[in-house]
Amino acid sequence: MYKWLNERLDLERFKEKYLSKVFPVHPTYFFGEIALFSFVILVLTGVYLLFSYTPSSQLITVNGKKLPMAYHSILVINSQPFGLIVRYVHHWAAHLMIAALMLHMARVFFSGAFKKPREINWVIGMVLFTLAILAGFTGYSLPFDALSTVATGIGFEIANSIPYIGNAIAKFVFAGTFPSPGSIPRLYMYHIFLVPLLLLATIGIHMVIMVKQKHTQPKENKEITKGTKILGIPMYPQQISLMIFVFLFTTSVLFFLASVLPVHNVEFFGPPTLQTPMVKPDWYLLWIFGIIKLIPGSWNIPLPGGVVINPEVIGGLIIPSIIMGFVTVAPFLSKSKEAVHYWEPLEHKPVASSIGMAIIVMLVALSITGYQAELNIPLWVCRIFVLTLPTVTFLIALSLTKKGKA
Amino acid sequence: MSEKDKKSIEEESKSCITRRSIIKGLIGTAGVGVFAGLTLPFGTIKNTSGKKKRQKIAKGDKLVFAVGDKANQIIKVDDLPLHKGTLAYPKGKEEHHNLILLFHSPVNNFQEPTKMDFITKNGFAAYSAICTHMGCTVEWYPHKQFSFDFPHLFCPCHQSVFDIFHGAKVLAGPAPRPLPQLPIMISDNIIVAAGDFNGPIGPQPGGK
Ligand code: FES
Repeated sequence: MYKWLNERLDLERFKEKYLSKVFPVHPTYFFGEIALFSFVILVLTGVYLLFSYTPSSQLITVNGKKLPMAYHSILVINSQPFGLIVRYVHHWAAHLMIAALMLHMARVFFSGAFKKPREINWVIGMVLFTLAILAGFTGYSLPFDALSTVATGIGFEIANSIPYIGNAIAKFVFAGTFPSPGSIPRLYMYHIFLVPLLLLATIGIHMVIMVKQKHTQPKENKEITKGTKILGIPMYPQQISLMIFVFLFTTSVLFFLASVLPVHNVEFFGPPTLQTPMVKPDWYLLWIFGIIKLIPGSWNIPLPGGVVINPEVIGGLIIPSIIMGFVTVAPFLSKSKEAVHYWEPLEHKPVASSIGMAIIVMLVALSITGYQAELNIPLWVCRIFVLTLPTVTFLIALSLTKKGKA
Repeated sequence: MSEKDKKSIEEESKSCITRRSIIKGLIGTAGVGVFAGLTLPFGTIKNTSGKKKRQKIAKGDKLVFAVGDKANQIIKVDDLPLHKGTLAYPKGKEEHHNLILLFHSPVNNFQEPTKMDFITKNGFAAYSAICTHMGCTVEWYPHKQFSFDFPHLFCPCHQSVFDIFHGAKVLAGPAPRPLPQLPIMISDNIIVAAGDFNGPIGPQPGGK
C-alpha cells in the first residue's frame, strides 16, 4: 500500500521534507497547539450543533409560549442525549482557544520571537486573534436569549455611533437595526462561514510561514550546539505522538470543564425580554467594557456637521484599536536589526519587556473595572489605578531588567 | 559584439518591457474590474428590517403594562402604590422605542429640571425606558443601591444612574443625556399620555 502510494505521490520526499521537521521541546510551545486543537474541536462540535440549530429570530408558539426559533432550537439541542455537553464543549473550546492564543502571544513576545525575521507572522497572528474574538462575538449572539440579545445589541450600538458612516455600517453588518428579522441569519453566516473560512486561511498561512522560518530555539540549545544546529525532536514520530497527547488532553479537559462548569445556560437566562439583565461581555472583551465605563460621558469631540465622536466610539473602538494596533506593529518598533533565532532573555530588551508587562497589567486593571460596581470600587479609583498601575509596573520592570543587564 | 547586435538586443528587451507592462496593465484592469464587480452587488444588499418611523405618542394614549402578569392591561392609578414602578407601553403603539418607565414617588421630592407639568399631582412620572447610552432598558430602583440611597433609574448594562427627582439627569455612568420625559396625566382613574417624549429616544446614530 505504502509502496503503491509512494510511487504515485512521492511520499518519501514529503517525509524527508516535512515529517522530519524539528520541533524544539519546551512546555510553552504547546500554547499554539492547544489553540489549534481547540479550533479543531470547535469545528467538530460546531458541525454537530448545525444539525439542529435554526438561525431565525421568528417567534413560534411552543406549549403556549412564544419563543424565538433560534432560542427554541437551543432547547431542542439541550434535550438531545449529547446535546448539552457538546454545546458546553463548544463554548468552553472558544474560551480555551482565546486563552491559549493569549498565552502563545505572551511567549512569542517575551522570548523576542516576534522580532525580525518573524514580523509577518506576528501580524498574521494578530489577525488570527482578532478573528477568533469575532468568532466568539458572533457566536454569542446565536442562542438569542435574554443575555445574548443585549450583548449583541451593544455591539450594534457601538458600530452605530461611528460618526457619519456608523449607521450605514451597523445596518449592513447586522442586516438592519438589531434585532431585525435578518440579523440572526446574517450573524449566523459570519459565525459558521465567513469567520471560520478566514480563520482557516490565516491559520494555514501562519503555519506555513512558521515551518519555513522554523521556531525560535530555547536558549540552552545555543550553548549545546554552539549555535550551529537546531535542536529538537522530529515531527515524526516523536512530535506527532506528543501532539496526539496534547489533542486528547485538550479534549478531555474541555469535556471535564463542560461537565462540571456549565456555561451560558440559556434556560436560566430565558428568551429575550423587555427588561435588560445584568450583562457582562465574555472575559476577553471585559477590558473594552472597562474602557467604556471609564470614559466620562462628557467626552465628545465635535466634528463638522453637528456630529460628535462620542464616548462609545472613543471607548469601544478608538482606544481598543490603538492598543491592538500598537501590539500589532510592535516588531516594527523594535530597534534591533539582527535576526532572532534563540530566546532573548528579558534583559536584552528591557523597554519592550516592560511595556509588555505594563500592557498586561493594564488589561487586567481594565477588566476589573468591568466589575467595578459589583466590587464597590468607585470609578475614580479605577481611573487612577488604570493609569498608575501600568506605569508603576513599567518602571519597576524596567529597573529590574536593566539591572539584570548590568 | 557588434553595434548592430547590441541594438537589436536593446530593442528586444525594450519590447519585452512593453509586453510585460501590457500584461501588468491587463491584470490590473481585470483586478479592478472584478473588485468593482463584486462591490456593486454587495452595496445593493437590502436590509430586512423594513424600518418604519416610530409612532409618536399622542395626547390621550392610554398606558398599558409592558411586562408581568398584567401585561397589556391598562394601568389604573391603584395599580401602582407609592414607590412602585413598571415598564409600560402606549396602548396600540407597542414598539421598542416607545417603551416607558412609569413610577410613583412622593410628589414633593420632584424638582427642576423635571418638567413639573409632565408629572401628575399625586407623584406619577414617566420617562423613556431606553438608556441614552447604548439602548438597554433602564430599571426602577426604589431602594438604596451602591452609594445612592434614594429611588433612581438604573441601567444594568454600564451602570448609568438617572436622578428621577431632577429630570432623569445622569448621576453616574456613561450615559450622555438624561432620559426623555413623557408628559402624563390622570383621567378617569387611569394614566394617559399628554403628548410625546421631550427628546430623542435612545442612542443616536453617527455620533449625533
Ligand atoms: S446602555 Fe445604559 S449605561 Fe450603557
